[in-house]
Amino acid sequence: MTARGLFPSQEIGSLAKPRWQLLGQRGEPLDERARGELSTADGHLGFAGPLAGVRDALLDGRSREVGAEGVRDLAALYFLRYLEDAGLDRVYDGEARRIEMYEYPIRQMHGFSFQGHVRSFDSKYYLKAAVTEEVRLERPYHVEEFDFVRTHARGEPKLPITGPYTLADWSYNEHYLARQPGWKGRAARRTAQREFVVDLARRAIRPTLAALIEHGCRVIQIDEPAAGTHPDEADLVVEGFNAATDGLDAEFTMHICFSNYRDLLPTLLEAKRCRQWAWEFANRDSPEHDGYEVLKALREYGDTREVGLGVLDVHRDAVETPERVAERIGRASKYLGDPSRIWVNPDCGLRTRSLEVARAKLGAMVEGARRARAAIENPRR
Amino acid sequence: MLVRTGLTGPFPRSEPLVAATRDLDRGRTTPEAVEALYASAEREVLALEERLGLDTLSAGYLRSPDLFRAIAETWEGFTVGSLTRWFETNTFYRQPILHAPPVRAAGAILARLPAPIRAAPARARVILPGPYTFAGMLENRSGETEPALVHRLGRLLGEEVRDLRGAGFSTFQFTDPLLVIRPPEGPRAEAVVAGYRAVASALNGGTSIAWTYGADATPAFPLLDRLPVSVVGVDLADTDPDRISEARGGPALGLGVIDSRTTLAEDPEEVARIARSLENRRRPASVWLGPGMPLDLLPYEPATRKVEVLAAARKLLGDGGSP
Repeated sequence: MTARGLFPSQEIGSLAKPRWQLLGQRGEPLDERARGELSTADGHLGFAGPLAGVRDALLDGRSREVGAEGVRDLAALYFLRYLEDAGLDRVYDGEARRIEMYEYPIRQMHGFSFQGHVRSFDSKYYLKAAVTEEVRLERPYHVEEFDFVRTHARGEPKLPITGPYTLADWSYNEHYLARQPGWKGRAARRTAQREFVVDLARRAIRPTLAALIEHGCRVIQIDEPAAGTHPDEADLVVEGFNAATDGLDAEFTMHICFSNYRDLLPTLLEAKRCRQWAWEFANRDSPEHDGYEVLKALREYGDTREVGLGVLDVHRDAVETPERVAERIGRASKYLGDPSRIWVNPDCGLRTRSLEVARAKLGAMVEGARRARAAIENPRR
Repeated sequence: MLVRTGLTGPFPRSEPLVAATRDLDRGRTTPEAVEALYASAEREVLALEERLGLDTLSAGYLRSPDLFRAIAETWEGFTVGSLTRWFETNTFYRQPILHAPPVRAAGAILARLPAPIRAAPARARVILPGPYTFAGMLENRSGETEPALVHRLGRLLGEEVRDLRGAGFSTFQFTDPLLVIRPPEGPRAEAVVAGYRAVASALNGGTSIAWTYGADATPAFPLLDRLPVSVVGVDLADTDPDRISEARGGPALGLGVIDSRTTLAEDPEEVARIARSLENRRRPASVWLGPGMPLDLLPYEPATRKVEVLAAARKLLGDGGSP
C-alpha cells in the first residue's frame, strides 16, 4: 500500500475552457453568461484570491486592461482549485494555457515548417508541419506554466507533455527521409522515422524535461496518443521514451488512449523509466465487453508498474456512478493481483465535456475510489 | 509502354475552403457561400488535372466525407455510426452500420459525384468502395456472413456500374485497401472474386480498377492476380517494387507512386525506372500511375506540388497511345 492509501486519484489532460477565459483572452468584455460563470465559480471555490484584481477587471468589463496572460493565470488557478475541490490527489492546471498538444511544442523547435491543414474527419482539420531540417530546441517549454502551478497547487502537481513519438507521427518527415538512399519505401520510411523520433527525444524533449525537473517538477506524464496508430512501431515509442528520459530523475508516466494495448505488448514494457501506464479503459468497457481484461496481459508479462486506471469515459455525458467506478477498480485489482499499484483517473482529458459534467464525473471517481478502498480495508462492511 | 495517370482518391481542400467549412460549422458563413467555394475549388482541381495531362479526371471529390458515406447515407439498410480510425492514419470515417441486407438507391451515387465530372463523364474516374473493404469496415448487424455480404455488395456495385455506364462513365475505381492489409483467404477470397466478377459483368467494355494501399501487397498477389478487373493498384510506399509478382496475363498494374504520408516530393526519374523495371519483368498491358494513399492526407499546397510527378514520369516513360 502506498503512503497515500489505496487508489489515489489524478487528472489526465485538458478541460474545457470557461467562456470567461475565452472572451477575456480575446480582450472582449464578458457577457452576462460569462460574468455569471466567473462569479459563481469564484463564489464556490474562492480561487481568485491572489488574482482578485484580474477577476475584478474582468467583471468590470476591463478585459483589455488585464491582457491575455493575466486571464490565463486566472484560468490556471481556477482549474487547480476545481480539481482540488473534486478531491484529486494529483492535479494540474487543466492545460488552461494550451490550445492543443502538437502545434505549441513544435513552435518551440527549429527545423519545422507548417504545411497547412489536413482533414481529420468531416469538416474538422488540424495543422501539420514537416520536419525540413535537423530538430533543435529553441527553448524549453511549459516551464513558466509549471512554475505557476507549483506556486499555487495544494495537491501534488503532475505535468503532461506530448511525447516524441506522437510529435513525429503527427508531422511529415522530409529531412530524415530525404537522407535515405533510393526509393522511399517502407524500410526507408521506418529508418527515417526512427532517426526523427530519437532526435526529437534527445534534442527537444529531454532538455525540456531536464529544465522542468530543475524547476521542481517531480511527476511528468508523457503523452503518446499516437502509440497505437502503427502497432509495428511500438519499439520506436519505447526508443523515444527512453532517449527522452534516460538519466533524468523524476517519476515518469506514459499516457496512451484508444489503442489496442495488446498489440503494443510486450515491446512497450521496455520503456525503462516509465513508472506508470496511464491508459484509457472505461470507453471500451460495457456489459458485452470487459474493458479491463487487457490488464491481465501486464500480469502475464510480469510487469509490476503502477497503472493509471481510466474509470471515466470522456466521450459520454452520462456520469458514472460511484458504484460503477468502485466495481471497475475492484475488477482491475483482481486482474493485476495488486490493488496498491492502481491510481484512478479519467480515460483521457475531459475537454469534450462541459465543466459541469466533468466535475460530476470527477466527484464520482473520487467517491468510487473511496468506496473501493473501504471495501478492501474493511471487507466485512 | 502504355501509361495512364490519374488521382486515386480525394484531393485536399484548399485553405480558403478549409476556413469556409469551419466557418459554416460555427455559423459564421452561409451554405450558399461555401457551395460557391466548393464549385470553384472543384474547377481548380479539374484544371490542375487537365494541365498535368492526367488520363482520368476526378475534380477532387472535395465534398466526400469518407469512402462510404455516399452509400451509407442513401442506400436502405444502413445508418451512419461513430467515428472510427481509418487504418494507420490520423483520419477517421463514420462507420456504416448495416442493419439489414442493403438495398441500392438508384441514382444516389451519381447525384453525389462532383459536378464537373458529371458534366463530362467520358474521362471521369468514379471512385467507389471495394466490396471487401466495405464489408470489413462496416458494423454488420444484418445477420449475413461476411463472405455473403462481400458478394452481395459486389452485385450491388455491379448494378451501380451498369447505371453509370448508361450515363456515360467508363472508368471505375474500387478502393479496397483491406485486400492487402488483411488478405482474404478461403471462402472470403472466393467471395471477393465473385464480387468483382459481378462488377465485371456490368462493365460493358469499361475499365475497372481495384486500388490497394496501407500494407505490403506482396502476400496478396496470388489473389490480386486472379481478380477479374482491368487494373490492380498497389502502393509502392508499402510494397517493394522488386517483390511485385512477375505473373503475366493478369490485370494491368497500377502503381501508387506518390506517398501521401510525406511532403517530400518523389523523383520522376526513380518512378520511371521502377515502371520500366516492372514492365520488363511482368509485361503488363498498361501501367497506371497515381498516388498510393489518398492525397488528402496532405495539405493542399504540398499535394499540388507532389502530383506534378505524375506528368513528369509519364513524359520520361513516353505516352504510349490513347486511352
